[in-house]
Amino acid sequence: MLTKKGKYGLKALVHLARLPVGQLAFVGDIATGNNIPKKFLDAILGELRNAGFVQSRKGKEGGYRLARPADEIKIGHVVRVLDGPLAPIPCASRTRYQRCDDCNEATCQVRHLMLEVRQAIAEVLDQRSLAEMRDIAGDDDLSAALKIQA
Amino acid sequence: MTGRANSTLPNSIIIVGGGASGVVLAAHLLKAPNPDLRVTLIEKRPHFGQGIAYSTLLSAHVLNVSAAGMSAYADDPGNFWRWLLERGLATPEQAPVYAPRSVYARYLKELLDELEARETGRLRLIREESLSIAPTGSGVEVALANGTSVVAHLAVLATGHDEEPGAGHGHAIRMGSEADTVLDPEDRVLVLGTGLSMVDSFLSLEQRGHRGEIIAVSRRGLLPSPHRKGNPIKLDVADIPLGTQLSYFVGWFRGLIREHQKAGIDWRDVVDGLRPFNQKIWQNWPSSAKRRFVEHTKAWWDIHRHRMAPEVYGRVTEAVQSGRIRLVAGRVVGITAGDEFSVQVQSRHTQNIETFNVARIYDCTGIARDISTTSNSVVRSLVDRGLARPDPLRLGLDVSDNCEVIAGDGTVSANILAVGPLTRGTFFEIDAIPDIRMQCARLGKRLLG
Repeated sequence: MLTKKGKYGLKALVHLARLPVGQLAFVGDIATGNNIPKKFLDAILGELRNAGFVQSRKGKEGGYRLARPADEIKIGHVVRVLDGPLAPIPCASRTRYQRCDDCNEATCQVRHLMLEVRQAIAEVLDQRSLAEMRDIAGDDDLSAALKIQA
Repeated sequence: MTGRANSTLPNSIIIVGGGASGVVLAAHLLKAPNPDLRVTLIEKRPHFGQGIAYSTLLSAHVLNVSAAGMSAYADDPGNFWRWLLERGLATPEQAPVYAPRSVYARYLKELLDELEARETGRLRLIREESLSIAPTGSGVEVALANGTSVVAHLAVLATGHDEEPGAGHGHAIRMGSEADTVLDPEDRVLVLGTGLSMVDSFLSLEQRGHRGEIIAVSRRGLLPSPHRKGNPIKLDVADIPLGTQLSYFVGWFRGLIREHQKAGIDWRDVVDGLRPFNQKIWQNWPSSAKRRFVEHTKAWWDIHRHRMAPEVYGRVTEAVQSGRIRLVAGRVVGITAGDEFSVQVQSRHTQNIETFNVARIYDCTGIARDISTTSNSVVRSLVDRGLARPDPLRLGLDVSDNCEVIAGDGTVSANILAVGPLTRGTFFEIDAIPDIRMQCARLGKRLLG
């Protein structure tokens, strides 16, 4: 399940991916530009830095930038760092398994199917790069593009 | 995916190197029903299926993987185990069995004999040294040492590990090579490396009745761990952080081991549970993480991941305790040759230099070696002519995810491929049969459908 944390983290990365290579962005600017509470964003960017997706510089001229080219950063990799194992429901994970109070995991068909679903999630998210996500056109552009194709 | 799949399938394939990787690849290629398929296996040694790893006759040189994991076939994991049982070489209650490597060589030989008998016309064996591979208009031509050559649509390099020592300032030799002449049993010897190859050398020396001290030197002086019966934990790719910096991954993995140990699960089960994903983890790391791993973490990883049979571990630790083997963490900074070798080793911990006078220096630094200095003629000639290049970390040859050799200018070759240890830069853990058979199965499927 993509949490708010995961969503905010991806938005912040898209923000950074739009900047010219090497240019730093202020946390305040990323926060206001994407409607993210600044304190929360500080924590998120800190985790992304620990995982090696962004770099930071301190001081007046400081800020954040991508640590690697946007086409090398895969969305699935970022989501695992922010939200933990990819899983549609909390019980469908092997390392962060959370038992449901109201069912038996050995016989729960829902969990079995969801374990399969997470493989599909990984397949999609691990194939798509931050650069691809950045370049996804908005809804309007998309419908226009579809019309042209049709 | 490639254009080839749409046009015609290659129906002649040369495998350069008839050691374990070459035989396993031939077996997987011949699974294709194509009646026009021609597989030519070229090996310079008198025996196929042995290579360096399985040519030892010493019964103490056992496989480092239990018999249950050593099948030559990716889709029939129990093949070797059944073979052992059928011949009375093991009984079911003995599992896990670490069979002598000479027995494994026999398994591969029988497998190849069977293929040769069944696949008349489709499989051809040539006992000769290959010198070079040259692209032709429609494929490749492999030149042999006897002056003849063989042509095919494509060639797959399966030349395995280097035969010549890569370390030791030109003074170290390989155990069992021609230079390894008779020693005085009381002589002190020095071994470069403290891993599984050092253990093999120790066992060989024991067998010869050698009694002198063995000084084993590596950067950290670490001995590999022993195997223990267990069940690998189950993981999905969705559980594993990919593409992060190395420190983040190591932190996650240590945490995973800690949690499982708290629940009474052995660390080996966690390390082995990660195995199906090791290639994926490696391939998704940024190059900085790969480099750091090779420099700082690999030595630790290796002693936990590449383990030895419990009985062998018992013999080695006993020898360390009794002082027969002395493990030294340090770096060789100089070697002077005279009546003896005088080897200067700088300690990792104190930085002090200690000098060891030894009768012989054995190279057991393992398998990683800069490919552009390889002693293998075919590989060297490819690199020299710009048809191949070392991978960025210089662990092997640069190849694509599809095993295609990448030329000096970055061009991906359509008809020169590689499997096994040569492809370490791309596939990382590709030295052991369980990984090599997967690679061969995938390659066979891609080439022949």
